[in-house]
Amino acid sequence: MTAVEAVSGLLLLAGAGFYLAGTVGLLRFPDVYTRLHALTKADNLGLGFLTLGLALQASSLAAALKILLIWPLVLAASAAVSYAIARRAEQLGLKPWQGRAQRG
Amino acid sequence: MKTVWLRATVFAVTWWVLTEGRADAWGVGLIFVVLAVIASRRLWPPAAYRLSLAGLLGYLGFFMVQSVRGGFQVAAMAMRPRLALAPSLFEVPLRLPPGPAQRLLTGTLSLLPGTLSVRLEGATLCLHALDARLPIEAEVRTAEARVARLFGIAL
Repeated sequence: MTAVEAVSGLLLLAGAGFYLAGTVGLLRFPDVYTRLHALTKADNLGLGFLTLGLALQASSLAAALKILLIWPLVLAASAAVSYAIARRAEQLGLKPWQGRAQRG
Repeated sequence: MKTVWLRATVFAVTWWVLTEGRADAWGVGLIFVVLAVIASRRLWPPAAYRLSLAGLLGYLGFFMVQSVRGGFQVAAMAMRPRLALAPSLFEVPLRLPPGPAQRLLTGTLSLLPGTLSVRLEGATLCLHALDARLPIEAEVRTAEARVARLFGIAL
């Protein structure tokens, strides 16, 4: 295994770790707003690590840049979609979760 | 005219990246570069804003660092055995003019640690904060200043 492959492997593992954390947050966080936080932030960083790790293994410079291009494009979509969901949730009158005391 | 060539270069490089440098794709590519320049002039008239290169680099650096912070923060919150969240809605009056600058800030804040954009109305941005005990307003002001510098806007 070369050094590049090792670094690439570590980056891919880190990316997978953040996706796992984001998914755990999605399952554990109490309401739509907090869940959006988990998805947008953890997946943003997770995808950053994944694209970096994959770009290191790309066959050419253009192919590496193409993989890296995925990151800003997905981020733009992620920001727009989370805004659309949060805005709609607020329009529907969903109140943000305020703490355990108020539940039930 | 300078902006036309600059945009054409950016789109041509994008095409080169998308086709992974294949020479036989340039026929179609040239057509799309021209179409993209025309569309970009419609959607973003050159006179409206001038992006600053130093501002762009500053914004990108800031965004990367904050992405790492945000990812670690939310991952730590999700993995903690007992959830310690103190969410709340905030309203922040923006100093940026309406248009692309405000929209970029709205999107950026959704990806930055602790904040999620919920509603942009006029010059007021409604945010959801994951932990209201953190200095939300200060973070918004920092991001706002970065976006302002990118667009060459004086706040």
